[in-house]
Amino acid sequence: MASIDTAIYVKPPSRASAYLDWLQMLTGAGLIAFMWSHMVLVASVNLGVNVMNFIAHFFEATYMAQVGGPMIGATMLLHFVLAARKIPFTSSEQGSIWRHAKMLHHQDTWMWVVQAVTAMIILIMGSIHMWTVLTDLPITAQKSALRIQGGFWMVFYLILLPMVELHVGIGFYRIGVKWGFVKRDGRKKFKRSENILTAIMIFIGLVTIIRFATLAV
Amino acid sequence: MSRQLKFNIFRYNPQDPASVPHADTFLLEETPSLTLFIALNKLREEQDPSLMFDFACRMAICGSCGMVINGRPGLACRTLTSDLPAEITLMPLPVFKLVGDLSVDTGTWFRATNSKIESWIHTDQEFDPQATEERMENALAESIFELERCIECGCCVASCGTANMREDFVGAFALNRMARFIMDPRDKRKDADYFEVVGTDQGIFGCMGLLACEDVCPRSIPLQDQLGLLRRKMGFIALKSIFKRKG
Ligand code: HEM
Ligand code: SF4
Ligand code: SF4
Repeated sequence: MASIDTAIYVKPPSRASAYLDWLQMLTGAGLIAFMWSHMVLVASVNLGVNVMNFIAHFFEATYMAQVGGPMIGATMLLHFVLAARKIPFTSSEQGSIWRHAKMLHHQDTWMWVVQAVTAMIILIMGSIHMWTVLTDLPITAQKSALRIQGGFWMVFYLILLPMVELHVGIGFYRIGVKWGFVKRDGRKKFKRSENILTAIMIFIGLVTIIRFATLAV
Repeated sequence: MSRQLKFNIFRYNPQDPASVPHADTFLLEETPSLTLFIALNKLREEQDPSLMFDFACRMAICGSCGMVINGRPGLACRTLTSDLPAEITLMPLPVFKLVGDLSVDTGTWFRATNSKIESWIHTDQEFDPQATEERMENALAESIFELERCIECGCCVASCGTANMREDFVGAFALNRMARFIMDPRDKRKDADYFEVVGTDQGIFGCMGLLACEDVCPRSIPLQDQLGLLRRKMGFIALKSIFKRKG
């Protein structure tokens, strides 16, 4: 039976935009939850090498690292594909948002630009980082320290850390205001808390990097 | 002591093939309670009769004097020079079609957008001119009016990064407008009808939450809250339909 795809000419109503927006938000929220847990795990080295090794061992013995790691990678990829629908890729779009942001002197608009730029850096550096760690299991404080003391990875993490924390912090704020969890009268306070949280996260991350750099191995 | 104000004003006349987009500088003595509206009229009367800009009501009701004031979209008639530094840069609202200098055509855009979202009450009720008007709860009437205060000045659209990048985005104006009809019990449209109009990437799901609209709206329409409510509502309509189809 010959069938004609009428949608070529007359688009039927579609719910795709709504589902994709849900997924974009949920993958974003999932990644935030992961990044916060990740920070707790890595920063545990500050409490002692054995604490971090114990936690790392726990995640490997239960296969959570082996299974969870690639799952996080897949989530990041999915999140990228979804959010890329919003990133300006043509030079004319990039030109308009850039000129617009410069004209407007508006913090939230700049925050979005930061989010889009950090996103591309995280996509590349985050993938490299995940590949390196997950193809070299088990994770131990000693191996991480050696890597960082080599110099290259120190610089690598010093760039990746603020990129991730900025993206996570702004993303958290964005979900709050976009989905109406934060109302007009709560916005200023929420933004302030988000900025403080981002600063704290970057601080803990820096302390952790220094700890690795000075760890005797 | 009065200040000497320096105006940098965008100049371009698209009708004139010889015209090149550029900025002109004007100097003006600041007087008490000087608004940009009065200042522009003075400049036109005393210095350059060819200067183009729009205004009608001069009291923030007609919405025609929207322009970019030191980078921020706002109403010229409502802006006191005393709230600004001595150097003032004026540009026309982006997104809209440029008529010339500071004058843009917001009307065509608003008309097109209003018809795109079918910005009127949909009802099959016959109008009876003899009948008394139907009553509405006062609280509901007030919350509808709160959104109805929009003067279609275009500041929210001009300030929106999304609208600047993507021509087909309907902007906070239209989303607020839709929220107003969703609230109104006289509009007989169903959830699915509203969803079809704004549950898209040209509608609420295109909004990236930059909230410039919220920050510039001269009428302080609660755009942030309405956009949030609308996203949730449209999001849940879509989710519900998954279960409905199966059940
Ligand atoms: C550590 C990994 C990441 C985390 C925790 C994260 C988190 C988030 C969150 C929570 C949001 C807000 C979601 C929303 O507004 O609906 C967001 C938005 C965004 N993310 Fe990510 N993200 C990560 C990685 C990436 C990557 C790799 C990319 C792409 C290269 C990316 C691109 C974007 C963009 C462009 C937005 C803005 C979307 C919009 O304005 O609507 N993110 N991210
Ligand atoms: S919502 Fe506000 S900024 Fe937008 S057109 Fe209406 S009055 Fe102007
Ligand atoms: S919240 Fe931002 S993206 Fe959404 S309509 Fe307002 S300015 Fe545009």
